[in-house]
This record gives sequence, structure tokens and C-alpha cells, in this order.
Amino acid sequence: MSESPAAPRDVAPDAAVVEADRPATDDGTPWSRLAPRMIAVDLARSLLSLAPTAVAVGVFGVEASWSTLWPLLLIAAWGVLGAARDAVRWAVTRYRVTDEYVERRSGLLVRRYRSVRRDRIRSVDTTARLRHRLSGLRIVLVGAGQQLAAGESALALDAVARRDAELLRAVLLDRAPALAAADQGAGADAGQDAEHVIARFRPWWVVYNLLSIWSFVTAAGLLWGAYWLLDTFGLDPVAWVEGLLPWERLGRAGTVLVGLALVLAVGAVGMGANYLAASWGLELARVPGEGGTHLRSRQGLLTTREVSRDDRRLRGITVSEPVLWRWMGMADTSVITTGLSIWSASQPAAVLPRGPASVAWPVASAVLAADPDPIGAPLRRHPAGALRRRLWWATATAAIVTGALAWLAATAVLPAWAPWVGAALWPVALLAAVVAHRALGHAVVGDYVVVRSGLVARATSALRRDAVSTIALRESVLQRRLGLRTVAAMTAAGWGRYDAPDVEADEALRFAVAAAPGVLDPFLVRDDG
Amino acid sequence: MDPTSRTPSPPRPVEPHDQSPPDGPPLRLRPPTHRVDPRARRWWLLRGLAAAGAPTLVVGAVWWLWEPARPWLAVPLVLGVLWTAARVLVEPRLRYAVHRWETTDLAVYGLSGWLVREWRVAPLSRVQTVDAVRGPLEQLLGLATLRVTTASSSGAISLRGLDAELAAELAERLTAVTERTPGDAT
Repeated sequence: MSESPAAPRDVAPDAAVVEADRPATDDGTPWSRLAPRMIAVDLARSLLSLAPTAVAVGVFGVEASWSTLWPLLLIAAWGVLGAARDAVRWAVTRYRVTDEYVERRSGLLVRRYRSVRRDRIRSVDTTARLRHRLSGLRIVLVGAGQQLAAGESALALDAVARRDAELLRAVLLDRAPALAAADQGAGADAGQDAEHVIARFRPWWVVYNLLSIWSFVTAAGLLWGAYWLLDTFGLDPVAWVEGLLPWERLGRAGTVLVGLALVLAVGAVGMGANYLAASWGLELARVPGEGGTHLRSRQGLLTTREVSRDDRRLRGITVSEPVLWRWMGMADTSVITTGLSIWSASQPAAVLPRGPASVAWPVASAVLAADPDPIGAPLRRHPAGALRRRLWWATATAAIVTGALAWLAATAVLPAWAPWVGAALWPVALLAAVVAHRALGHAVVGDYVVVRSGLVARATSALRRDAVSTIALRESVLQRRLGLRTVAAMTAAGWGRYDAPDVEADEALRFAVAAAPGVLDPFLVRDDG
Repeated sequence: MDPTSRTPSPPRPVEPHDQSPPDGPPLRLRPPTHRVDPRARRWWLLRGLAAAGAPTLVVGAVWWLWEPARPWLAVPLVLGVLWTAARVLVEPRLRYAVHRWETTDLAVYGLSGWLVREWRVAPLSRVQTVDAVRGPLEQLLGLATLRVTTASSSGAISLRGLDAELAAELAERLTAVTERTPGDAT
């Protein structure tokens, strides 16, 4: 009984990224070092991280002992060690670009070679932290088609001089001329020399980024950091806050409310600052390249980030509107594209920061540049059965929660009013069901299939029909009774799966047939009924 | 902000998306042609016993041995027994009646599920790997699962409960077909 004889198609020789103990090619291309300025930066970093300790002892006269200074000393040790590690990394890392590969050699004790096939490179991005910007350095991130471990680029060069970074990008993104000529087909329209700016940053978008569930986390971090810092310098923030307001007169509820408001205010300031730092100067543009156009965004105040997304990899776009903020028209815009990790913390797929829907929709439309335009096309509403299914589930959930709470109350674990909490959940759940039903919609517009759904965040996704790789129809017992089916279109890009939940059964089949052209045709028969 | 300054183009009529069947009786998706191997019923029964029966047995044992916990465990125990009964008595028969599969030179088509039915079609031009996978229970019964993966992480099709030799043969044939198909399957 042997294992399957079938071998996966993309085994090592074909892989885009290979990590090995010898170079991928041996054609004598010379290796280059990272920028030597890194050493100067590391020295400055070490000195800077020692500064707080010096200030505490020299300016505030804090007693120079381990027990009072340990947090600052930890910071100093952290900074110095980080800088030392960085210097070692500079010393052992080399990179080179050969005809076929980009290679990086690294490792102090064991030498490792990481190589990326040049024809598999999907993106070359540059990013820079404050220290890189001050010293004219850039981090180059090379992305290959496959999605690696969370947030990891196929190859990162940290850091090279800005000129070298630009050169690398130009070399790596512009393929061999013959290949480029063959690829140009779609994007060969005349007059593409100039870049076409799609969106620019507006500072007032910050109002969309002040409040979220993360405000509390941000506030907690900021307050804790402030307390800890002041405490280290021998100040007493608790007494200062106590003296700020006549807390006794506010009572317990008043204290909680004022405290909550203060925390939210601190959180909002933190979130706003974070947003401005990350998105300042955003410019989203479509720029021509040798091998077709790219969707490029540049942003950042202290840390600048530039992301280029190959238009040939673009499969669609998603505009997502959080339910609680729909009244103020808040929307997130991200592209559906292969080769960009959806899990990456830097969210390379997000072409716009959280901002007004009035901007998001036209931008989405301009990014796709499709005719007819799938963005804003009327969507087909889903039948009343879909609402019934949601109401049913809302009721069942509320009933189960209430039942569990009633049981716990009956066994005297919870107070007697506990079941009423479950009962109060019911109208909320029913309302949520109605909201969720109103969010549903689907359509096929030109080359795109458009689906919209979602309660917490209503996501409208337009996906190229030729990008759909697997099509599925689902039908649960309840859906069968209500005459509904869920259509799922699977693709290699973005989330990998885009659903149109609870479509009326016949319409579901028509929609599935249209969403994946030709895929279902061999299995269709005429109903002779 | 001038996001919509594209070059204008002649408007094309936005067709309703049912372009394929213009008229005539409505189209229907026919089920795939082949049923799964009859031994699959035994496999689903064993799986039900392992997945639902074993935890229920543990809960039952605790209920039996530890008297103070009885009021807490009564409800989970009853639910566990009912779920086990459903998985052992109903699931294998229902699945055997529902599950079907079909492969052509163009596509893989599977119908599966018992409480939630799912029709899945993947064109072979998008298929990346085809494997015959065999778990311990499947090896015992001489069965195999044909797993067909596409570039989409959620787009895989699993044809379960096939005869082991048939699955190996299918995997070989489909791999040969996909290797003939050009493109990187994204």
C-alpha cells in the first residue's frame, strides 16, 4: 500500500524562494555589502539609548543604583545590543542580482543563502524607519508570488542607500525587454508615460481613525508607559490625577464615566497620532513600468513606506464599511491581489487608510478602471428567506443563551435576573439579523462578480470572473427548507474565498454559472419539467 | 481628489448576468455520476464513533464516578449521546446517499455533506496538486481520499471514501492532465 504516486507540481526546482547552504548560481557575479552608513546609525542608536539614563542621573538627580534605574538600564541594554546585532548583520550579509536570481548571503556561524527567482518577483517595496530616513537609507522588501509565513517578505535587505534601493527596484521590476514586450499587451494604451494619481492624503481623515476598539488598548499602553516613565524619574502621577478633580463629589458612576471619557480621549489622541504618522502624505498612483502598470502608494511621516502592486496581479477590490460607523460613512479599501499577504501587519493590500466612503468608492472604481464599472452597480437583493434564516438563527441563539442562563440561575450560580439579560439579547439579535440581511447583495457586472455581505463590517468585493478557480454551492438543512443556497467563489488572491450567502436556489445556480465562466457548463442539464 | 478622471469610453449595456440561458426550461446542476465506495459507510461510522462517541464516553465516565458533578454533566451527557447516535445511525447512510464525484479532462466535481450539502467544481486548468491521501482508518478499510488543491487556500476539493486503487489511479491521471495544462494555475 504505497502513498500516492502524484507529486505536487511546485516542488523545489520551481519554487520562487529557496533557502540553501550554497548559492543558487555560480556565475561569478560579485556580491555587494549593505550600506556602510548602518554602522554610524548603530553607533548613534547606542548613544541615544543610553541618553535616558544619563538624563535621569544628570538632570533629575535620580540615585544611580540598580534598584532605581533598572528600567532605563534595560532600555539602554536593549538599544546597545540591538545596535551591536545590527552591526554584526551588516558585517556578514552580502547580496547580488544575477540574471536569474536575487540572492542574499547571511549568517554568522552557519552561512545561509536565500535566493528568489527574478521571474517570480511580484513586488519590490521600500520602507524606512526614522533612523533610515535621517541617514538616507532604505529597507528593500522583495515579494514573490507565494505567501510565506506571516508577514515575511521573500527577501529583505535592511538597509541599503536610497540610490541603491531605487536602482534595485528599477532592475528587479523591469523584466527582460522581450518579456516586457510580450506582457505589455493589456497596458499598451498610448499616453501612459505620466503617472496617474488616484488619491491623495487629506489630514481631516483623522476623524475616522480616532475611535475604535483599539483606542482602549492604545490608551492603556500610553497611560501605563507614562506612569512608568514618570515613576522612574521620581514623580508621582497618581497624586497629580487625584488632585485634578473633586472625585468624591462625582460618586462612583460619575468617576467611572469621567475615567472612561479620559481614557477614550487619551486613546483617541494616540490613535490619531498613530494614523497621521502612518498615513501622512499618502499618494496612491498608477505608474507605468516596463512590464505593465503598477499601483503604487507612498505614505508615512516618520517611517515612510512605498508599496508597488503589479497590476497584472490585481484581481479585484474590497470596500468594507464597519456597521457602527456607517452613519459617518467610514470605509476601508483594499485590493484583492495575489502575492500580498493578507495577514501581514503592514497591510500591503490596503490601498487607502480608513477614511470617508465618499472617497473610497471612486478610488475603488478608479483602481479597477473597468468598463462597465462594477463599483456602484446595482446589486440584486437577496430574498425574504435569507432574512427569515437570519431571524431564525437570532432567535435560536437568544433562546439558547437565555436557556443556559435560566439553568444557571435555577441552580443558584447566577442571580435570578440573569435570564433577563438573555431575553434582552433577543431584540438586539433580531435587529442584527435585519441589518445583516440588508447588507446582502450580488451581481455580475462585465468581467467582475460583485458580492456584498457582513454584519460587523459590510464588505463589498468585486472580483474578476476569470480569477475564480473553484466554485461551490452550499445548502444547509435550513437553507434547503427556505429554498436558499450560498455561492462561494474561490480564488488565489486576497481572502481566497468570496461568498454570496443565501441566494434564491435557481438564481444561485445562474449566478454561479456566470461567476465562473465555463466551469459549470459540462454539468448542466435542461430541466424537462 | 479626482479619482474618476479616466478617459471616457462608449457605454456598453450592462447585461443582466444570466447570459447563458436566454430562454427555454431552466438549467439544473446534475449530480456527479459516481457514488462513493460502499465501504465508506463503515468509515463514517468509525469516524463518528471516534469523534463523538469517545468524548461522550469520557463525560459519561466522569458522570458515573464523580457524584457532585452530576447536575452539571447531565445536559452535556444527553447532548453527547444524541449527537453520537446521529453520527452513528444517520450520518453514514445520509452521506452515502448524498456523496458523489466525477472527474473529466476539464474539471473535478464533488458533491458532499449531510447536514450541509456542498457542490464543488474546480477546472483542471486551475488545479495545482492532486494527491491520494490515506488516514489510518482509511488504510484499514482500503479507502482513500482524493485531494485536489488549487492556488486558492480554501478552494481544495476532497473526494472522500474512494477505493484506494481507484484514487491512486485517478491521482496519476489527473496529475498528468494538469501537467499538460500551461500556466501557473493562479
